[in-house]
Amino acid sequence: MLKKRIIFTLLYQDRNFFLSRNFNLQKIGSLEWLKKNYNFTLMAKSVDEILLLDVSRKKQNTSEFCSIIKSLTKNCFIPIAVGGKIESLDKAKKYIDSGADKLVINSKLFLNKKLLEKIARVYGEQCIIGSIDYKRDENNIRILINNGSNSININFKKALKSLINLPIGEVILNSIDRDGTGNGFDFKILDQVPNKFIKPIIFSGGAGNYKHFILALKNKKIDAVATANLLNFVGSGLQDVRKLIINQGFELSEWM
Amino acid sequence: METKISNILKSRKVLIINYGMGNIKSLHAAFRYLGIRSEESDRPDKIYNSNILVLPGVGSFKKAMKNIKDKNIDEAIVNNLKKKNSSILGICLGMQLMGKTSNEDGLSKGLNLIENNVRKFSFSDTKNNKIPHVGFNNLKFNSSNKLFKGIKKSHDFYFNHSYRMLIEKFKGDYSFTVYGQKFLSSFVKDNIFGTQFHPEKSQSNGLKVLENFINHT
Repeated sequence: MLKKRIIFTLLYQDRNFFLSRNFNLQKIGSLEWLKKNYNFTLMAKSVDEILLLDVSRKKQNTSEFCSIIKSLTKNCFIPIAVGGKIESLDKAKKYIDSGADKLVINSKLFLNKKLLEKIARVYGEQCIIGSIDYKRDENNIRILINNGSNSININFKKALKSLINLPIGEVILNSIDRDGTGNGFDFKILDQVPNKFIKPIIFSGGAGNYKHFILALKNKKIDAVATANLLNFVGSGLQDVRKLIINQGFELSEWM
Repeated sequence: METKISNILKSRKVLIINYGMGNIKSLHAAFRYLGIRSEESDRPDKIYNSNILVLPGVGSFKKAMKNIKDKNIDEAIVNNLKKKNSSILGICLGMQLMGKTSNEDGLSKGLNLIENNVRKFSFSDTKNNKIPHVGFNNLKFNSSNKLFKGIKKSHDFYFNHSYRMLIEKFKGDYSFTVYGQKFLSSFVKDNIFGTQFHPEKSQSNGLKVLENFINHT
């Protein structure tokens, strides 16, 4: 049986890792800090996948970010998806060559199908994760790009429908309103997902405790859950969450 | 994880065939962790002369075969295996390339090291399970299968693919995985090994499989 996944998201900018709340960043520490305060071997044994995103608000230092990818993937034998400013095949190649298994594309997802096709032609559709950051207004759901700074004028439901014809393998739905709040996931957004949607959905934004994870994992439309909440799950936090979920009778992947 | 690689095995070297598709770094990292030396090359002479080959890859079957043929890597692999004192492990797309044909981007021919064919998953094949098949799933195998020595049938491995190798009438040791229907998730045919899952991305389970492969060579 295919197990649903728990994914940990790391947010990177300018040599440091960050907490995010409604997309406002708060600095936590450097890679050294992360390695010191975070038992990486333990963490890698508690999650199914890692998502590493360069959320730089300023110009990206690509080579520095690539060295972070290399360093993170050195003794980490789980899949790692990398995103941030993928605007060309060349950038995609740099991330893959640094150790990325998958690529996360957000800002160009609905704006540059040619780029997606180019990348898919080399690495395959299964290598691309389309990431959608959204925000609710009174009667409207807006899709935001460039780290939540610009919205694009596209109907949310239609946008989700159009994903079926894009060369991507998976989809991340990330609620900016719930981001970093720990108040739980935005399950209502799943009403917008077409029936029999063929691509796996990674649900993100709002996880605060293990009960939130269980609720999401039990949902038929959700294939994986992601959290970026470093402090909530620091130390053995993720391992504990995993145990609690398994103790509740939910099957997660099993390793030696 | 404790590894039991003898000093003799440590003296061996794995050649990772790098034809420009996918993440090679993690394979080096996995072998380094196991205490086994590894290098990468696309040179036919090096490939022909290596005793332990790994054929990795993610991406398009057609493009991969084109790269391999353009560099004469296909001949080097086939001629090397004829010597009978070498082994090869194909991973993910690498395993699929060992097959007869694939219908990715129109029908194209593989290396034909085994006679099985590669076909795209359809929503009806997977019984409405999502495509690609991505995440951790377990395998069914015979207890005599040397690739899975020390592995339990409940242990999971990381998959990420939209095409899969059909089981057809495979002769030899193999495993199958169920995703709506059964597909070939690994095989052992003499000195030719293939895994649809990524052992280098499957935590301790995958490292054990790589160790089993090396122990066999």
